[in-house]
Amino acid sequence: MIQKLHTLLGHTDKVWSVSLHRTLPLVATVSSDKQCRVYDLGSGQLVTVLDDTHKRSICSVAWKPTSALELPALAMGSFDATVSIWGREDHEDTGDDWNLLAIIEGHENEVKGVCWNKDGYLLASCSRDKSIWIWETDESNDEFECISVLQEHSQDVKHVTWHGAEDLLASLSYDDTVRIWREDDDDWSCVAVLNGHTGTVWCSDFEIQTSQTARLESEANGEANGEANTNGVGRETRLVSCSDDTTVRVWNRVAISSSSAFRTNEQWEQQSILPQIHTRAVYSVSWSPYSPRIASTGSDGKLAVYRESAAGWVVELVQELAHGIYEVNSVAWGRLGELEILVTGGDDGNVHVWSVSN
Amino acid sequence: LFAFSLLHTAEPASGNVPALVSDTESEQEEEDPIDSQEIYDLIAHISDPEHPLSLGLLSVINLPDIQVHDSGDRNSMSEVVIRITPTITHCSLATLIGLGIRVRLDRCLPPRFRITILIKEGTHQSENQVNKQLNDKERVAAACENDQLLSVISQMLATCK
Repeated sequence: MIQKLHTLLGHTDKVWSVSLHRTLPLVATVSSDKQCRVYDLGSGQLVTVLDDTHKRSICSVAWKPTSALELPALAMGSFDATVSIWGREDHEDTGDDWNLLAIIEGHENEVKGVCWNKDGYLLASCSRDKSIWIWETDESNDEFECISVLQEHSQDVKHVTWHGAEDLLASLSYDDTVRIWREDDDDWSCVAVLNGHTGTVWCSDFEIQTSQTARLESEANGEANGEANTNGVGRETRLVSCSDDTTVRVWNRVAISSSSAFRTNEQWEQQSILPQIHTRAVYSVSWSPYSPRIASTGSDGKLAVYRESAAGWVVELVQELAHGIYEVNSVAWGRLGELEILVTGGDDGNVHVWSVSN
Repeated sequence: LFAFSLLHTAEPASGNVPALVSDTESEQEEEDPIDSQEIYDLIAHISDPEHPLSLGLLSVINLPDIQVHDSGDRNSMSEVVIRITPTITHCSLATLIGLGIRVRLDRCLPPRFRITILIKEGTHQSENQVNKQLNDKERVAAACENDQLLSVISQMLATCK
């Protein structure tokens, strides 16, 4: 069952992206109104508005995966070709003083996606200029050094996604492909190209397994345990992607080979196409860290939840017209206490928080 | 093959999606459905960026190439598909013309409309490329934030009534 808990109002134009903090009950939303709004998920109260910085639409946002000892920080990417980094000034719950920490320049034109790696020391950004930049940083979040520029896509790179437990990056493009990147011999290289989609690939998400979720949470809470299974070796590594071709596909890494002296390769194959629900472009997809479920949404306004069972993926629920007659651009799983939630952002400028029973 | 199959969907892509009665708005106001003639009238007077003539007069836009699925229910999604015929198969301004049509309709149609703009099959050498660009939401949004481009489009739309 799905139920709307809150509607977070305030944006005056399309909401392009939503991001949920890994451990704090915070959601950040960005819009064509050039604002980022941060809300408390539990109460629905506005925490802060980050604005007066970007000159054009902000279309991507991502929380840095910080530990409980660090202050929350986030990155956002804008059509003005820059990425900005923001952080809260102090630990006080009442303190809503947020600072602009850095503005990152380098891309030639619209930045379409930003994402932090598992521990927040690497940030990836991607652009219509066909490139992906990887930036290295530290706890202060005020210096970002570009350590690699990846230029193998032949068209706009729409989105980038880091794996939650290993330094594996997926990029999605207008060229209809997904590319997988990893560090190899001191540089980043493309280790796999996933062909199958017949239209722009808009978004992807790696599966995070429950044991990894528990480990990441304990790490984030400052507990120094659980190095077992950290790199996912011996486990399935999977990615879900969604496309203009109206499909949602699950890909599976079947082998890692480093047979040639200088280059690692990974073999990925398409494991399944999720049951067809969408009738128009699918803009966003999110893999639940808490249950074997995937959510997708898009231009047809539907919010779909699929569950993996012994018989494969089945449709668990479909919310029609999740944002009324408007398109939905972004969906993300989260948790409020024991309750699993979904957060969606749409062209109506609204952000909805949904409870989804397990 | 599977990609565009509609076999497993709950309802057709066009119109008639049952309206969700949300907590804020429960009005089920019906309007007169919008038809292809009304769409034609909205866009036929757009000026061609190269010629001192309208897209209607140049037959870039033709009434039979406009499909509309609309129930008139303002709480369900509707769809309009327009196929444009460039004056020459290597027309470099096909994308600009398509964008002008999209901007005009975005401004004039109720928000329930999903707009698809395509090059009429076989009338342009880069048909697929132009189609992809014209229907890419991000690219269109970014283009519409480009002042230079917008001023050209404003000139094209200045002849609309």
